[in-house]
Amino acid sequence: MRLRLCAATLAGKVAARLARLCGRRGSSLPGVVALRLYPGVLARLVSQVRTGVIIVTGTNGKTTTSNMIARMLASAGFRVINNREGANLITGVTAAFVRAADLFGRIHCDYAVLEVDEASFPRVAAQTNPRLVVVTNFFRDQLDRYGELDTTISFIRRTLAERPHISLVLNADDPLVAQLARYVRNTKFYGLAPRSAGAPRGATSREARFCPFCGHSLEYTGYHYSQLGIYQCTGCGFARPRPDVEAAAAAVAGQVMRSRVRWEEKVISVVLPTQGVYNLYNALAAFTTGMVLGIDPATAAASLGHYTPATGRLEGFLYRGKPVYLNLVKNPAGFNESLNLLFAGRGTGDVFIAINDNDADGHDISWLWDVDFEVLAGVKDKLSFVCSGKRGAEMAVRLKYAGVPPRKITVVDNLRAAIDCTLNGRGGAAYFLATYTALWPVEKLLRRRVTRTALENAADV
Amino acid sequence: MLTVCHLYPDLLNLYGDRGNIIAFVRRCQWRGIPVRVREVGIGEPVDFGAVDFVFLGGGSDREQTLMAEDLLRRKDELQAAIEDGLVMLAICGGYQLLGRYYRTLQGETIPGLGLLDFYTRAGEKRLIGDIAVEAELGGRTVRLVGFENHAGQTFLGNIRPFGRVLAGYGNNGQDGTEGARYKNVFCSYLHGPILPKNTALTDYLIGRALARRGQDGILCPLDDTFEERACAVILRRLRLGR
Ligand SMILES: [Zn+2]
Repeated sequence: MRLRLCAATLAGKVAARLARLCGRRGSSLPGVVALRLYPGVLARLVSQVRTGVIIVTGTNGKTTTSNMIARMLASAGFRVINNREGANLITGVTAAFVRAADLFGRIHCDYAVLEVDEASFPRVAAQTNPRLVVVTNFFRDQLDRYGELDTTISFIRRTLAERPHISLVLNADDPLVAQLARYVRNTKFYGLAPRSAGAPRGATSREARFCPFCGHSLEYTGYHYSQLGIYQCTGCGFARPRPDVEAAAAAVAGQVMRSRVRWEEKVISVVLPTQGVYNLYNALAAFTTGMVLGIDPATAAASLGHYTPATGRLEGFLYRGKPVYLNLVKNPAGFNESLNLLFAGRGTGDVFIAINDNDADGHDISWLWDVDFEVLAGVKDKLSFVCSGKRGAEMAVRLKYAGVPPRKITVVDNLRAAIDCTLNGRGGAAYFLATYTALWPVEKLLRRRVTRTALENAADV
Repeated sequence: MLTVCHLYPDLLNLYGDRGNIIAFVRRCQWRGIPVRVREVGIGEPVDFGAVDFVFLGGGSDREQTLMAEDLLRRKDELQAAIEDGLVMLAICGGYQLLGRYYRTLQGETIPGLGLLDFYTRAGEKRLIGDIAVEAELGGRTVRLVGFENHAGQTFLGNIRPFGRVLAGYGNNGQDGTEGARYKNVFCSYLHGPILPKNTALTDYLIGRALARRGQDGILCPLDDTFEERACAVILRRLRLGR
């Protein structure tokens, strides 16, 4: 057994080296190879984690939340294993452990923090026996548009019902997530305070119109975004649970966001070096996890203040003194949030949107019509929209029908030319939005032209 | 004044198909044709005789069942309006619903509205991908592109197809037909959504709606550079480019 474990680990490591030589980032190849040689490799490696496995799942915010948790645990003095962005299927998770193991298949760590694809959750949970599971939100992804979301959630429900000892950290504001509390013994909820709930913007991409338990329609008294808000079932008693960790309205100041977070009748001030309601949710998920694991609140808050975004999660750069933002877009809810961000940044700006329809992006891009680009129609201070990627022309059509004047829209197929065109626009800021497979090339090309801003220093302002 | 009737927008708002409403409305507005949208939910009253364009999209099983029950109650009224030349576009699940029945893989038969002569049966394999079709609109042959994603395979009876498949699957992946057409009712599997990119179809529908109200239905041309470019991307990919 030990021999098979060593062989599988070694083969995985060789594969990792080869993948790196071929220039493939975030590859799951080491996991594929190791699992092929020894299907039990993941369970064997996981069993050596000293304190426990933490899984972060949900549609949006997995990467950010799991990175925040890993960083928080590290700053509290623990050794942590983390899987890489996007490598969130069983192979990617296995790859993370193979990378962390030594040549004898030994692992020395306190926690493993794993972001896991919703659909892979049952399988990964079965093999890793998690102690704590964080669920961020459930939205329909572009790949998942024909009722499969319901199936995915029902599999997660079943997995939890079979393992009621798992501790859950759940988003109270998402009814699709909050329902999961019924299947385990211990749940902590996080959410945004009701009074900061605003008018339903992005109302077109709402997922949960019906109660997950009785099928009656849900009534909302306020929305944060998409179906996230303050809800109550008109048929049974299901309603938004009272959060254990709740954030009051966040104030945006420059490139940072400040919020007051209530936990056990204490109020802690949290400063995030990033923007957007969805990032506040991610930070709340991480903070709540920290509290469940007994981390000191001040340490947890400080670590969130030093968070650096992973690629594409609202990265900040500078180009000749001009702020430049890069953000991943992959579904209507996330895209609407990115658009809100364009408005949070007052002043003029140029906007770049790259849409690809490769396997990893989803071949069907009709979800672009579920994004509320109509909010851009009357906006004067966004000066130009440069559309690129394989489906740049389609994006231009969408903007035109949203009411953006055609003279502001250009289609530039070549990514490099499109990027230069945007950076050299007349606006005071530049916003780059890209789907998954467009993100890496855009980031690479941007990096040659810009400098990363000191967002961490900004947190102290 | 043209009145657009958007059926069940609160149920069927997740498939990008609201782009069809947006395209129809915008292309009227850009030409100065007054237009308004009436959103009609389950149980809400609508007079099909008084509307000019009806859009029916598709949904997941649950939504599909709800809208089928509701439409069944309006069947006679809808049928009368269709015979009278009502312009209608039905996509995917909405298309299937207008036919005689849908047969599931388990052999269960779910009755449709029976307004048009075709039936649909579930296939083992989902038909997914880019699609191009050739259709005749007012004596003109046009190419339309879109994205299809359906498990149901539709077989036409005594009714003409909407178009001929150039690349992709279409109704069933076998007989080369795509969609169905009866009077001013257009049925198709093309998502994308279909109307924004395929301006010839959108304008044809607007023209038919105007003609039904006794106007000449001749529309002034618009600048369709972006739309044509978006279509060309798909046609090139399917090796149909010029
Ligand atoms: Zn209920």
